[in-house]
Amino acid sequence: MLRIEKTIVQKSVILQLIGEVDASNSVELDDAIQTLVQEDAKSILVDGTGLEYISSAGLGVFMSYLEEFEEKQIVLVIFGLSDKVQQVFHILGLDQLINIKETKEEALEVVYAK
Amino acid sequence: MFKIPSINIGKISLLVAILTWLALLFVDISRIFAVLSQIDSGISIEISWILEISFFIMVYIFYNDSIQKSENNNFLDMIWRGATTGILATAVSLLIMFFYYLLGESRLATDPLLFNFFYHVNFAFITLFLISSTLLWRHLILYQKNKKVVQQWQAFEIALLISMFFIFFNKNTLDYSFLFGLFFLLIFGTSLSANLKWIPYLTFKEKWKSILFLGIILLCTSFLFFQLLSYSESADILVNLTDNLFLLSLFGFVFIYSLFSFLVTFFNLPTSSVFEQKLLEVINFQRLSQSIKPGENESQVLDILVDSCMSAAYVDAAWLELKQDHKSHFIHQRFVKNKERRELYEMINMAKPFLEFNWQDQGNERKVFYGKIPHPKFKSAMVIPLVVNKETMGRIFLAKEVKDGFNKEMINIISTFVGQACISVENSRLLNEAIKNERYKEELKIAQQVQRSLLPSQLNHDETFEIFGFSEAADEVGGDYYDTHQIDGHRFAVIIGDVSGKGTSAAFNMSQMKGIFHSLVQIDPSPGEFLIKANTALSKCLEKNHFITTTYYILDTKNKNIYFSRAGHCPTLFFDASTDSCEFLRVGGMGLGIVRNKLYENYVHENEIHYEKDDLLVMYTDGILEAKDGNGQEFGYDRLKALVKANHTQSAKIINEKIIQGVFEFIGDNAILDDDYSVMVIRFNQ
Repeated sequence: MLRIEKTIVQKSVILQLIGEVDASNSVELDDAIQTLVQEDAKSILVDGTGLEYISSAGLGVFMSYLEEFEEKQIVLVIFGLSDKVQQVFHILGLDQLINIKETKEEALEVVYAK
Repeated sequence: MFKIPSINIGKISLLVAILTWLALLFVDISRIFAVLSQIDSGISIEISWILEISFFIMVYIFYNDSIQKSENNNFLDMIWRGATTGILATAVSLLIMFFYYLLGESRLATDPLLFNFFYHVNFAFITLFLISSTLLWRHLILYQKNKKVVQQWQAFEIALLISMFFIFFNKNTLDYSFLFGLFFLLIFGTSLSANLKWIPYLTFKEKWKSILFLGIILLCTSFLFFQLLSYSESADILVNLTDNLFLLSLFGFVFIYSLFSFLVTFFNLPTSSVFEQKLLEVINFQRLSQSIKPGENESQVLDILVDSCMSAAYVDAAWLELKQDHKSHFIHQRFVKNKERRELYEMINMAKPFLEFNWQDQGNERKVFYGKIPHPKFKSAMVIPLVVNKETMGRIFLAKEVKDGFNKEMINIISTFVGQACISVENSRLLNEAIKNERYKEELKIAQQVQRSLLPSQLNHDETFEIFGFSEAADEVGGDYYDTHQIDGHRFAVIIGDVSGKGTSAAFNMSQMKGIFHSLVQIDPSPGEFLIKANTALSKCLEKNHFITTTYYILDTKNKNIYFSRAGHCPTLFFDASTDSCEFLRVGGMGLGIVRNKLYENYVHENEIHYEKDDLLVMYTDGILEAKDGNGQEFGYDRLKALVKANHTQSAKIINEKIIQGVFEFIGDNAILDDDYSVMVIRFNQ
């Protein structure tokens, strides 16, 4: 089960992921990010406080956008991940490519610094 | 043992009948001869009667057998058979009259012997005609029989049998008992004649034919009857064979049944089309309900549907509209040209009741639209949606040249037809789908076999270490991979990998990984080089959102060193026997296919560790770590560590088994693994 909630905080879009991202619902995550890219969002914050599990298919979604974000200079920051989920990002090496912060404030700082 | 030869009743009875008739003729002629010669022949009249009765019975047996043999004759053939026998008897009688006409006033014309001979001939043919007709009528009467009718008929036959012997009782005089018997048999025959169930099953054309044949039979019967009456007044006949209760009753019965049939058939003519229509509807319904055989076209059922609807409502124009990918196709167009159909289609869609139709509507299944249309030729129309699997797949259009052309019965029957056709189409689709699924399963089984063979059954090793691998896929096919290769005398390449996602797509990528491993291992790359080259290769063939995690090891058994690089794969578990401790080798790295350019090199790290005797190297995929128990708890690193530590003295194979067993115990009986999982254990023995 995955629920995605979209909120806007100080001109930044926050995608809140609640539940689990696996092969069956990774498409929903992909759609949500795709929409933001089409809306010319300049920064995307992903709130992972409610994210219990992410499978390789879910990681694949983030991975597939990295190049496009770089091209369009879109800042992606993920924050609030549980240790377990962060470990998954870390083992794969994605933490070297994606800005991962502990809190929302830290994440917003990254966006403003841009 | 001897066998009784099978007796041909037909032939024997015919032969006996002919012989009996000849005997009868001989007896009567000799009696006349005696009278003429004025001597007493001494032949009693009873002999003639007995021969006559035997003749009746033989003819009965013959016809009974002959009609039963041609059981599958239809009604029309039966009536025709009766008519031909009647024509034959009449023709014989007419020929005799014509012969006498030719003889004129000659002496021969008054010869009683000749006269008697012809009388016997006439008698024989009339008997044939009457008995055969009676038996034919029996078949018609007993059509769709019930017990009561059968009993009545049997009683009638017995009464007829008794009437044959009546002659002994009343000595051939026209007294009251004779009239009473005749009256009784006629009433009986008449009551049986009410059984005319066969008539409605005749088509219009058949009815006309049967009227003609029945008319012939009526004429023949009347003619022969009057012919017989003329004989009874003749003084030249000593033994009157034909003023017989049996024969006269048969005359009455054959005549009455023919007359009833004739009249009922005649008055049934106007309604026969209705009956035919209903019969056709039943047949059409049956054709529609027979499900389409697999591989056959749905179009065939729809074709039958259009035909059935058209004939059920006497429709002047019809076609089917099928919706496919939001486009309408028009098929099975009947009695209407394309141009006219387009006109009508537009007009119907604009007209009042038809406007309410909506393709998306969920309740289309029970809807029927009918009403007037403002077309110069067609005045009324009817549209019924075809709903298959809750989806409106098309509509049937029916148009008539008359106003208010669709009555309640027509609407009912047509909606039933449409419903049945839709069920047939639905059934056939389900069946086709089931067959397709079965085929997919079969294909997947083959894929599974192929993929199983991709995992090595033998892993390369030498005497200094033992190695054991195990892998299980969550679906039919999986994305986990491990393999080994002996580079030279003391160096071995070992790889473990996990393709993102699971199922078929993962399995395809896994086979690519195997190809890459076996290609690159030939050039003996360092672990870092291997990852860089593998990343470059995979960048070109992996889908955008897919990646592969792997760890590549080179074991140097001479120097007891392990060189390895990790590409996003789960950290290797290393058991150090000297300190009796387990450690995950947490080194940096990045999954293959994540960074698809030169920059990948920046994320590659080469590592080296030294091992000693009794150390263990445990490689696994994330399916092990992420296996969940009933409460959603993950198996995790610590449990794996504990299992290895507890079993470190065992062989590689046992340790492997213990890990798998531990994971299964952890997840419990009811849980299912939703990821592929693999474990490979190396135990250093030197």
